[in-house]
Amino acid sequence: MAKRKVLGCSLNLIIILAIVFLALTVISFIGGSVGALITGGEPLSIFAVQPPHPQLAAEHPFPNLPITNTMITAWISILVLFGLFFAATRKMKLVPRGVQNLVEFIYETAANFIEDPAGKKWGRMFLPVCLTIFLFVLANAWINLIPGFETIKMNGEPLLRNANTDINVPLMLAVVAFISIEYWGFKAKRTRYLETFFNFKPLGLGFKQLFTGKIKAGFGGIFNGIILAFAGILEILSHFIRMVSFTFRLFGNMTAGAILTLIMIFLVPFVLPAVFYGLEAFFGFVQAMIFGGLTLGFACAAVMAEE
Amino acid sequence: MGLGLDLATFLGQLVSFLILLGVLVYAGYKPIRKMLDERANRIEESMEQAEATKQEYERAKVAVQEQISKARQEGQAVIGQATQIGDRLKEEAKEEARKEAQTIVDRTRVELERERDKAIDDLRREFVDTAILAAEKVINETLDKEKHRKLIEQALEESTTFRED
Repeated sequence: MAKRKVLGCSLNLIIILAIVFLALTVISFIGGSVGALITGGEPLSIFAVQPPHPQLAAEHPFPNLPITNTMITAWISILVLFGLFFAATRKMKLVPRGVQNLVEFIYETAANFIEDPAGKKWGRMFLPVCLTIFLFVLANAWINLIPGFETIKMNGEPLLRNANTDINVPLMLAVVAFISIEYWGFKAKRTRYLETFFNFKPLGLGFKQLFTGKIKAGFGGIFNGIILAFAGILEILSHFIRMVSFTFRLFGNMTAGAILTLIMIFLVPFVLPAVFYGLEAFFGFVQAMIFGGLTLGFACAAVMAEE
Repeated sequence: MGLGLDLATFLGQLVSFLILLGVLVYAGYKPIRKMLDERANRIEESMEQAEATKQEYERAKVAVQEQISKARQEGQAVIGQATQIGDRLKEEAKEEARKEAQTIVDRTRVELERERDKAIDDLRREFVDTAILAAEKVINETLDKEKHRKLIEQALEESTTFRED
């Protein structure tokens, strides 16, 4: 009689694994901080996890150097990306293998994703910035998930910390995206792009009409002009607010994720945090996608003609 | 608890990111782009080549077919010609044979006639001699033999002319 198989293992093995995982969860739940809180005693020593005390500002693991732990992590991410791309492009072949295949897949997927809304000409221009932002955010988020990553201490401070949780990094990326978008917009439309922000022509036209005797048309024109000029100011504001939203979306999500994982580890040390690790991996990808994708979206909006 | 905004960190991260961007553009994206384009070109070329080969094959097929049918036609023509020549030769041979036969027949006839004439002559001469001999014996008188011969010849000649009429 053929044994029933679930997920490629025999049913018995699955049941045993489920029982082990469940037991670990229950034990760590009762023996950990939550159990200690309920029973009023101390948590078991092996489950004793220091309560997290999150700090938003990046720590300085070396007191004498102006280097934060997020900077070190960013460098590691950058080195990983360098390694990946160097390995892929060092000996390029027409028939790709291994890493070249992977990197080409990444590049081509991004190229298709970007050229779909932006077109071929602009797509090739947007790609470097959008893809690099995506890869950088993703690398930062995923490197952080390596077990034990944030536990290495140096002079009492964590040596490594997810770079996305340092507000300077999201802000830096937002500024890069902002400058790139404005540059592309100006490049595409020249002075017409500036008219999106400083639109005083209709107002001037209204005054001209008023002084040349067309009173009714003049007042209408002035009213219209004031609205358009105000819309331009709103546009300026929206571009700056966009930068802020870029920054805090990434910073908030990443920081919240990090704190949530730490809290889960503190509360239930075994099994359950794995779920949150998976979630963090997913959110890291989503946030990278959102950052790169929104940069692409705003860039498209900036270069496309309004008419 | 501050947010941790710090100009130095910001600039440091900015420089790091710009280095990443620059290196990725020159060592990553550009070669990959080039490779992808090259591959696309190669594939396009291969497809075109395959298409061209296929067309070439089709053309060759048609040409071969044409040649075969042409050869067949030529063969047919040769066979027809050969048949014609054969027929003509046969006719000619027949004609020649007929002619030859005719000649033989003619010659034979001439010969026969001559033979007959000769036989007649011989017979006549013998008859004449016999007649003279008989006449000599009858009359018992030696006549001028030559004179008589002439006389009788003349008479015979007349009779022959008569017969031929």
